[in-house]
Amino acid sequence: MADTTQLKYTTLNEIDAIHATLRQSFRAGKLRSIAARKVQILQLAYLIQDNHDRFKEAFAADLGRPALETALLELDSTISDCKIAYDSVEKWARTEKAPFSLNFFPMRPVIRKEPKGVVLSISPFNYPVWLALGPMIGAIAAGNCFVLKPSELSPAVSGLIAELVPKYLDPDVVRIVLGAVPETTRLLELPWAHILYTGSGRVAKIVCAAAAKTLTPISTELGGKSPVVIDPKCDLQTAAKRIMWGKCVNAGQTCVAPDYILVPEDAQDKVIQALKATHDEFYPTGPSTAGVFGRIVNYAHFRRLKGLLDRSAGEIAFGGETNENDKYISPTIVKNVKGDDSLMSEELFGPILPIVPVKNVDEAIAFINDRDNPLTLYVFSQDAAFKAKVFDNTLSGSAVANDTLVHCAVDGLPFGGIGPSGSGYHTRKYTFDLFTHLRSSLDSPAWVDALFGSRFPPYTAKKESFLKSLLGVKLPPRPRQLANGTDQVGKGN
Amino acid sequence: MSDILTYTPVEEIPKIRDDLRATFRTGVTRSLEWRKRQLYQLARMAQNEAEAVCDAMTRDFGKPRFEVIVAELSAVIRVALKSAEKLEEWARPELPDVPDSQKNWKPTIYKVPKGTALIISPWNFPVTLTLQPLVGAIAAGCCAVLKPSENVPHFSELLAKLVSQYLDTSAYRVVNGAVPEITKVLELQWDHIFYTGNGRVARIVTTAAAKHLTPCSLELGGKSPVVVDAAYDMELAAKRILWGKCNNAGQICVAPDYILVPRQKQDELVRGFEKAYRTFFPNGALDDADYGGIVNDFHFKRLSTMLDRSQGEKVGGAFEGRRDPARRRLEPVIVKGVDGNDSLLEEEIFGPLLPIVVVDSLDDAIDFINARPHPLVLYAFTEDPNVKERLINETQSGSIVFNDTFQHLAVAELPFSGIGESGYGYQFLRYTFEAFTHLRSSVDIPKSEESRLSLRYPPHKPEAYQVLGSALNIRIPE
Repeated sequence: MADTTQLKYTTLNEIDAIHATLRQSFRAGKLRSIAARKVQILQLAYLIQDNHDRFKEAFAADLGRPALETALLELDSTISDCKIAYDSVEKWARTEKAPFSLNFFPMRPVIRKEPKGVVLSISPFNYPVWLALGPMIGAIAAGNCFVLKPSELSPAVSGLIAELVPKYLDPDVVRIVLGAVPETTRLLELPWAHILYTGSGRVAKIVCAAAAKTLTPISTELGGKSPVVIDPKCDLQTAAKRIMWGKCVNAGQTCVAPDYILVPEDAQDKVIQALKATHDEFYPTGPSTAGVFGRIVNYAHFRRLKGLLDRSAGEIAFGGETNENDKYISPTIVKNVKGDDSLMSEELFGPILPIVPVKNVDEAIAFINDRDNPLTLYVFSQDAAFKAKVFDNTLSGSAVANDTLVHCAVDGLPFGGIGPSGSGYHTRKYTFDLFTHLRSSLDSPAWVDALFGSRFPPYTAKKESFLKSLLGVKLPPRPRQLANGTDQVGKGN
Repeated sequence: MSDILTYTPVEEIPKIRDDLRATFRTGVTRSLEWRKRQLYQLARMAQNEAEAVCDAMTRDFGKPRFEVIVAELSAVIRVALKSAEKLEEWARPELPDVPDSQKNWKPTIYKVPKGTALIISPWNFPVTLTLQPLVGAIAAGCCAVLKPSENVPHFSELLAKLVSQYLDTSAYRVVNGAVPEITKVLELQWDHIFYTGNGRVARIVTTAAAKHLTPCSLELGGKSPVVVDAAYDMELAAKRILWGKCNNAGQICVAPDYILVPRQKQDELVRGFEKAYRTFFPNGALDDADYGGIVNDFHFKRLSTMLDRSQGEKVGGAFEGRRDPARRRLEPVIVKGVDGNDSLLEEEIFGPLLPIVVVDSLDDAIDFINARPHPLVLYAFTEDPNVKERLINETQSGSIVFNDTFQHLAVAELPFSGIGESGYGYQFLRYTFEAFTHLRSSVDIPKSEESRLSLRYPPHKPEAYQVLGSALNIRIPE
């Protein structure tokens, strides 16, 4: 298996030089033209397509990832994102006219879409292509120069990216920085036009504190415990399939993996039965068979997960097999888990699925609201009122009914967290927008002062009333009562 | 604690935040009708209490009544009503256009309020810079704490009283105070912080926000340059620039800070300033009620010292440059022939001093601008499309305005924000609504999709690769 010490880290001096070079390139306008941006995006698509087999091997080395998961979730989706950006960048980058306003249209107000400058993206180990190259596409489409700091915990994939990017893309506009804590610290001391950090809340706080010193705008894509609320009356067979799929993909190491289940106590066993049936369908020769199910990224995370499982007061319904050498943990369902259990103390990020029995949906909602806002909230139900009740009374990054993970694949839906699960949106046009500065602009002709001359001193009552009539408004009738039941206040009741 | 301004007791501050959170949890702000009522009440407050507000601003730093009514109260009323009118449209869930294969998934983007917000505002345009963000927070369905500036004690004291009378106090509160109170406020977790002020304090705010991963909007400032093209009508440019500089005695984040003009046109521009000044203030600005004072002694001293240290040539004639420290009044001063190291170019002026830097080419002007932090706004007086194009392409700024000064603020449909040291996060109308809104994406996958989706499940058959891995065979353009 791959070992982090094989990665050759970028030196601190090189980091400074990279930052300076890219700043110069930005000033020189290297990605100003749409054509130049499209060339880079196209090259990125070829980078992936040409090296498809090498990527699959690297994924197997880093994450034991089955080939189809890699193709579907990462390589495929990233090439598709390249094509979307390639086809849409002209439209996305077009200057917009401000909505028509009678008073101001002569000044031709417009909104320009401009790149922010040189931007930094720090990406994690779990989707080391999609989360590393996805932001690169949007940033380049927006005309920015881009530095990627991919994860040292996925050394085979990160190393491959570092090798291929300089061959396919222009090193004057895109660079990869390899490293761990000292290298990341150095990166964060430099000023960036925007930082995108994808990873854990703990490290995000460090990144945000560093960004605060340079007033760098920062977006964070974090995680948390994404709950699954199951309506016992739902189509359980389909639900179980979709939940197991979301949990087993990448061995549960997905920021939007279904983390834990909330279901009424008396439905717990039939949910478990449905999950077990799905598990057996997925893995007829067992999940430990080579190439059918992922592995934990490294020993530290393996031990973390094993520790959580061992300390749990819940009962293992099925699974629970582990093999440290192989960093293997089988898909494991744990029943009768309580709110203060070890499995509820942090985001699992592994193939363990606790079931927390509750009395009813109200208790499920209260349970969710007592905890940090999740990145995604899943509800399995065919009952519109049930779904509405859960979604309307909770807050989450996304709200997904009757499946898992797939919302990330929908072009047009923004992907982002709220509160501890993050801030800022990405994927496709949203990534373009993340890295774009809206530069408002006006162009005021001389004759406008025929109307607006009243703004100049000396200030007279006549000018004041003229401007008021030009810009003033008439209020709707006074409301009878305020929402909190108090009677109307203010003059002339 | 001043005897005008009642500071909120520090121990009460966490409870205020908790009360607002509890209100948010009840879901009362979800109703669009409820939000509209609050917006109308806010508009009513601005209309009914206009005299009280003008009076407070006069007491605080002699801000001209005209400026308070036209630039502040009117703007707030218009924006509150426009937001109420547009609220349904803004809050409506969006249905993105998706490929056929995903159309049955009900992809929807819900606009949900982030929760409980904190709005910190400065002293210079306290009405609009406190209440316009509040309009956006209300429209988005958030609860909010306002922390207005202690440098305008009469205004902030009045604001606390009026908010409690006009708005629902279970959702909207004012916290007043200085450093100990704001420190307490920043220790707490908020769902969004909207800060308007300077870069130094912005770093304190964002550092505190980082501990809670709280997203921020920062509306800062900087030195907004004015590039004047030789071919432009110098008199008209001078009039519009001087008006921009005299508003609020130059104490505005988008005030034209300094001028870059071709060497041979400097004197003509200066004559234009003199002409405009005589028209605006026939007896000089010192005692003119249409011209404001400096907010406090600290800033008055800062400006006086900056001016005295300048090595440039102070323009005389109509500009007497009179000062009255007792009333903190400082007449506008134009300084010619200023070089890059002058005291007037060290920091944002935020006062009625106008340095002119001569340049020998557009290249020089662009280099001068680019050697400094990105400004909040770049002004340029020119009709030449090549000059405009170069300035657009070769500089960066929050906004870029041709042939006038801060009219872009009046166009409420334009997003307003800085870039780099001048800040981040947009505001005005829909953009303020969006700052306080979370886009909650949603899909709902029917069972009938199983036939299409089941290829993803293990065991993975060969045809699954063909269908799901098909992008690997997409025809990429040459």
